[in-house]
Amino acid sequence: MRSISELPVRVFSARIPSGNIASSLTRVVQEVWTTRGVIWRLFARDFTVHLRQKLLGLLWAFLGPIIGAASFVFLNYAGVLNPGNLTMPYPLFLFVGMTLWGLFTSVITVISGGLLTHSDLVLRTNIPKVTLVLSGTANVLYLQLVNLVILLILFIFYGVVPSWWILMFPLMVIPLMALALGIGLVLAVIAVMARDVTAMVTTVLNLVMFITPVLYARPVGHALLQRVIDANPLTYLIDGPRRLVFLGTMESAPAFAVASIFCFVVLALGIHAFYLVQDKVAERL
Amino acid sequence: MTDSHWTIRAEGLSKKFGLTLRQSMAYGLKDTFSRLVRGRTPSNELRPGEFWALKDVSFELQQGESLGLVGVNGSGKTTLLRILNGIFSPDQGLVTIRGRVGALIALGAGFAPLLTGRENVYVNGALLGFSKRDIDDRLEEILAFADLGSFIDAPVKHYSSGMFVRLGFAVSAMCQPDILLIDEVLAVGDLNFQKKCYDYLHRLKQRGTSIILVSHSVGAIWALCDKGLLLHEGRVAVAGSVQDVLRAYNDQNAHGALMQSKQRRSSREAARNDHSLSATYGGQKGGTGEVLVHDVAVLSLKNQAVQTESLEFGEGFALEATVEVKTAIVSPLFRFTIDAVHYKYIASIDSLEQGLRLNTVPPGKFVVRVTVPDQNLMPGSYIVNMAVCQKGVDAHLFFWLNTASFQILQPTEKFLYSEANAVVYLGGEFSFEEVGGDQLRGGMALEFKAAS
Repeated sequence: MRSISELPVRVFSARIPSGNIASSLTRVVQEVWTTRGVIWRLFARDFTVHLRQKLLGLLWAFLGPIIGAASFVFLNYAGVLNPGNLTMPYPLFLFVGMTLWGLFTSVITVISGGLLTHSDLVLRTNIPKVTLVLSGTANVLYLQLVNLVILLILFIFYGVVPSWWILMFPLMVIPLMALALGIGLVLAVIAVMARDVTAMVTTVLNLVMFITPVLYARPVGHALLQRVIDANPLTYLIDGPRRLVFLGTMESAPAFAVASIFCFVVLALGIHAFYLVQDKVAERL
Repeated sequence: MTDSHWTIRAEGLSKKFGLTLRQSMAYGLKDTFSRLVRGRTPSNELRPGEFWALKDVSFELQQGESLGLVGVNGSGKTTLLRILNGIFSPDQGLVTIRGRVGALIALGAGFAPLLTGRENVYVNGALLGFSKRDIDDRLEEILAFADLGSFIDAPVKHYSSGMFVRLGFAVSAMCQPDILLIDEVLAVGDLNFQKKCYDYLHRLKQRGTSIILVSHSVGAIWALCDKGLLLHEGRVAVAGSVQDVLRAYNDQNAHGALMQSKQRRSSREAARNDHSLSATYGGQKGGTGEVLVHDVAVLSLKNQAVQTESLEFGEGFALEATVEVKTAIVSPLFRFTIDAVHYKYIASIDSLEQGLRLNTVPPGKFVVRVTVPDQNLMPGSYIVNMAVCQKGVDAHLFFWLNTASFQILQPTEKFLYSEANAVVYLGGEFSFEEVGGDQLRGGMALEFKAAS
């Protein structure tokens, strides 16, 4: 037994979690780092469980995206999907866009539902809540990795040579991830109080997709719509990396930079908001 | 002084909750908003629909001490445990904790039904703060403690609840915390496993772990704890030695049962607006109408025959009833019977049995009283029934169930922990001797195998 003076001391009190954004950011880094093993273990658990008692096992991860991509290709051959003058095969264009959009929405969905999914662990263990919330992203990232593999197959299938920027692709999606995390963290605490918030957000996101060039390329014909699209930061976050992969240039690089800064500000605010409210979460679960 | 050796110090802990989900949602959103925008929490006062789940709870626990937390359901025990584990933050007050907290609340937390027991050890271990290497090092120990044999490689979903808890306990057991919080998990597994758990907990205590045990089982608290804390409606009702607290807890439970019997009595009486008697069995009161009993009272002998509801352990008492005879009755007899909470008619005091022989009783008002100078009822709550019969008639002239109730308090000079369902205390003298050679002694000597 250690002597009493060596023991770590913790205080739980009624005072409001003090601190500014900087202390929240230090805290998140510290907590996530010290509990990285937990994130890994939860991911490994869910991943293994996912494979158990399944005939196709690991194939399921690939099956969804493959069928998705195949349907694009089919529709393209059938002449239904033909958005006009694109310098790249439309199914490829679509697949990249959908992958990015899928990343964005699934991170928001997973993070915002994170506290509810792990309510049992929130109520019974003292793992930092941020860890439990973030553990869901591991699976999202894994699925994105699968998507990347399928993307490479599609490139080969179409005989398109992507630019060298494709190596930077994982870095280019970081701002998009940051935005999704920031939004998701705020929603996570609110979703505990009002359970339909996640459903509302999913619905809204479906609408937002139409003012984001995911399915189509810029510019569009309608002037007002064009202005809305231009003002939407997601436009640059999704179309930017996509153009870079296919064309090797990003015509709106400054806008991408501004949008990226915006994303990190949202993330920082999201983390801070999460830490301000998180101690009130358990009793509402 | 041992003042510097405390591991938990709680000062004025309070926690409020909303009663309905709707309010909980509204207040939750409001609080969230006010924190985000104005950076402060609302006042500590209760808003409509809120209640204090915990109010002004203070205590201190030293290294190696264990505290038993008792109270009826909803008295705030689990809330307190969750605050100590850092899951709920208090609304008032603060708690300081020195050392690593292990919680048997987290028993089997994160277990995935499809994974095997062995795999789940790693999941549960990670959630308790152990790395893969920590668990690798102690895997043998854990598996030995859980003692699940080949089932350790079967999916957890095929486990019985006992096996599930054994595995969970085994993982928690290895974490050797400075403070251990336990919420009602000791009554699991077979006798061997339960004994192993107690041995383990005592070993932890000796090494200096402070233990807080929440349980409804007086036996479990008594076995493990030095101190006790009785919570009532979120407040500390009694704090002190474990005996004192368990006595108060038992008295409180008995008092609760007493209140229930009183409530049943008054609600039934209120339901009857006429004073007619039913001439059939089945109701609470009935008879032929020849005789009526009005008031039945339990009297304390100590306090000059004052009506009472609680008696000391072993304290003599008297039962008294006012009898109104309407038409003359030949050799009536009066009978009091006593019910315990779980058993009916544990005692009968009958005037004929006790030697009171009456001839014809003319109409009029009488008082019947029986004095019981000694009684050996166990602490608890009891109900008195009253009947008037007639010698030679095997039917009641009058009966009245649950006419009065009383409570026997816990004795202070001895601690009766052994059997909550017992209703009679029989004082005895135990002896314990070794059986010499192969000559068996008759009588009450217990067999004893000397450890060689």
